[in-house]
Amino acid sequence: MDRDIMIRMKNIYKKFNDLEVLKGIDLEVHRGEVLAIIGPSGSGKSTLLRCLNRLETLDCGSIEVEGEFLAKEENGVAHYAVKEDAHRILSKMGMVFQQFNLFPHMTVLENLIEAPVHVKGMKAEEIIPVAEALLDKVGLLSKKDAYPGRLSGGQQQRVAIARALAMQPDIMLFDEPTSALDPELTGEVLRTMRHLAEEHMTMIVVTHEMAFAREVAQKVIFMADGEIVEQGTPQEFFGNPQQERTKAFLQNML
Amino acid sequence: MEKLMGIILPMLEGSGITLQIFFVTLAMALPLGLLVALARLSKFRPIRFLMEVYIWLMRGTPLMLQLLFVYFALPMVGIRLPDIAAALLAFTLNYAAYFAEIFRSGIQSIERGQYEAAKTLGMSYVQTMRRIIIPQMLKRVLPPISNETINLVKDTSLIYILAMNDLLRVARTIVQREFDMMPFLVAALFYLAMTFVLTWIFKKLEAHYAKYDE
Repeated sequence: MDRDIMIRMKNIYKKFNDLEVLKGIDLEVHRGEVLAIIGPSGSGKSTLLRCLNRLETLDCGSIEVEGEFLAKEENGVAHYAVKEDAHRILSKMGMVFQQFNLFPHMTVLENLIEAPVHVKGMKAEEIIPVAEALLDKVGLLSKKDAYPGRLSGGQQQRVAIARALAMQPDIMLFDEPTSALDPELTGEVLRTMRHLAEEHMTMIVVTHEMAFAREVAQKVIFMADGEIVEQGTPQEFFGNPQQERTKAFLQNML
Repeated sequence: MEKLMGIILPMLEGSGITLQIFFVTLAMALPLGLLVALARLSKFRPIRFLMEVYIWLMRGTPLMLQLLFVYFALPMVGIRLPDIAAALLAFTLNYAAYFAEIFRSGIQSIERGQYEAAKTLGMSYVQTMRRIIIPQMLKRVLPPISNETINLVKDTSLIYILAMNDLLRVARTIVQREFDMMPFLVAALFYLAMTFVLTWIFKKLEAHYAKYDE
């Protein structure tokens, strides 16, 4: 198998009650690649991301992360890895949410060290310098003792990125990271993500930010109605879209 | 003066019983209520059902009836508890049910995103509840918990039917003996003092939790 493939999802199906949200999705993400997933709301793009880190459970299909099966398809049903394996595989992925989901009762620094200390069992004095360096990287070291409620949305989202990075994931997942932000605050978050991409972090970004997809991503996937309609490099995708759905969507967005 | 002391000293003794019931009930019913709330939210239907029945029984019958039941009915089936233990059992079971419902509503008011964030960071159920959900829940339930706690101070007076010399019963005994209404007034002041202290403690707790906004 190609050692450079970080994530391989195959034949992914997911239903909510009777509503088919994902209808046979296949995708691959290579090491250091930034994949942007775009599409209208209700197209299943967030669900796809949430299936990847098991916030949603697959009905059918397989998920491989760095060569290990998180879920394997057998007889048309997805079977998940046993608990310890699943835990290890999931820990390779960090997640950033639309609503930030910082822990409001903890300071910024406490948010960052919570999981490293209590999940990985690191000592506070080991992780604090790492956490402070991450906060410095996202430009918020001066806010380390503030509570999240005192920060702007853009600052909260940058803390959320730092918190996910504190667990040293190999892959970062972003679920519409700027959709809950005022327009003037999206820039600072996108800049942080751009820095991350420049450091060759493998990233999957569900987004409505076309400029970000065009400038930062190496691959763009366009989803509609639970299917991948079109995919390609940003140049192909934005410069010369093939499908009518894609053209209509891009016309509306740009 | 001597007469006043003759009122106050026995009443102080009576308030000792009152305070004992109050503190022991609180110390047992709060943790028990939390466990019941978590069980009530369990994935396992039988456990959930059991907790619903328990809460229904405790909230659906008068506390006085529960006290009488523990005190008079249990001995008939061979369970004989010391007076104070019987009272504490009834109070604890009753208050745990009310606390459980308050804790449950608090837990359910925490956004799903908090669980999801904890999960994607690799935290287990126990870690998520202990470190993320319950601390935030406590802040939100302080006002109703404070309400119930103040109710408890006054409900302790129900034990007079079990012939235990709590504050109110002592007061009534003196009133009946001396035809002097003064002990009722003193009892009222005792209760007011206790609830004043409680109100102050809860105010401090709320101020402590106000260090973070949501």
